[in-house]
Amino acid sequence: MKNFKKHIITTKPLVTELTSGLLWQLDIEGINETDDGLIVFTEESKKIHISDIEKILLEMLNQNLIEDFQIEEEILEDKNWNEEYEKNVRVIEVSDRLVLKPSFKNYKPKPNQIIITIDPKMSFGTGEHATTKLALRFIEKYLKGNEKVLDVGSGSGVLAISSVMLGASSALGIDNDEWCLLNGNENVKANNLEGKVEIRLVEIQQIEEKDFDLVVANINKHILLEIGRFIRQKIKETGILILSGLLTIDENDIVKSYSEVGFESIDRSETDEWIAIAFKIKPNYG
Amino acid sequence: MAKKIEGFIKLQISAGAANPSPPVGPALGQKGVNIMEFCKQFNARTSSQQGLIIPVVITVFSDKSFTFVTKTPPAAVLLKKAAKVEKGSAEPNKTKVAKVTKAQVREIATTKMPDLNAYDIEQAMSMISGTARSMGFTVEE
Repeated sequence: MKNFKKHIITTKPLVTELTSGLLWQLDIEGINETDDGLIVFTEESKKIHISDIEKILLEMLNQNLIEDFQIEEEILEDKNWNEEYEKNVRVIEVSDRLVLKPSFKNYKPKPNQIIITIDPKMSFGTGEHATTKLALRFIEKYLKGNEKVLDVGSGSGVLAISSVMLGASSALGIDNDEWCLLNGNENVKANNLEGKVEIRLVEIQQIEEKDFDLVVANINKHILLEIGRFIRQKIKETGILILSGLLTIDENDIVKSYSEVGFESIDRSETDEWIAIAFKIKPNYG
Repeated sequence: MAKKIEGFIKLQISAGAANPSPPVGPALGQKGVNIMEFCKQFNARTSSQQGLIIPVVITVFSDKSFTFVTKTPPAAVLLKKAAKVEKGSAEPNKTKVAKVTKAQVREIATTKMPDLNAYDIEQAMSMISGTARSMGFTVEE
């Protein structure tokens, strides 16, 4: 896990816009603006020292942009920041058949319901978000049984795990975040799916497997726009692609971009401002 | 009935790249807000502004729900983009590292206008020019 440094900065006067703008010249992770000043977060491995920040503040002092400043540094260990929220995670009935529950909540299943245990921690995919629900409902709709599934940006593993619970023969979840490897594997184990669901810390370009029957990706628009051609290389000619994580205003850009790499949209589903789109391969394409 | 506001959180993060690590994790986590939900919404809404830094003000309600508004990037970030440089000068008074045109300053001032305490565009331009000078940028006529 990554460690971070926290630099607590106060200036007189408090010129937040200017100070923060100048601090962004360093490779920092982000800033928290408080009533007293700024808290600047840096990743420890990037070797940004307190002296680098001081240099910027001293220059501001030289230019009479501030009269005084103070700075303190603290090491911050990465942890599950979502812990507080997780205490309130609920059981989620995604559809009549599919239910997601955290490990610490009890749920008495109704006949024919499939119960999936997901503790999301620091990974995307709590099941509460509309984008996850939309993707899950499409997975349920398009899986017929015995498919090989690829989940791109697997997060908590919720889509890969659900796919197998809904009838797929295997699922590979890939993500580039270490938390997802850890948390995804915990969730695979919690559902006794070792051997059927694999979570891997890789980019889609790096996987050798292909001919997936169903590919699902619940990620940001800009990443979806970048990986379309790689998804095309991994999916079977008869395969189904499900894209989620999109706002309704993104629909045209996504459909156009995926059409250019050989996909044709066949289905769409909306909740609030969010949309999921299902695609198949265009007949006789390239 | 309107929901009770518990507090505000002000962050600056890269567009389309919010993740549960700091600063998002500690700031939202201690208020019991669903961090992943915020990241998802922020990333989707700022996806088209890749490469920019976005200040965001998050309103947290007593039921742990939230709303947020995004602001314009800091002027220094917009100036670096306009001048196509990674950094300002370490000694702005002695070493000039980039140039921006008055038209670029006007454009940035127009973008920043909603978030600046400026009476008019001229005053906003003067603020942006001041930031440019503090970074070692020359403002050309």
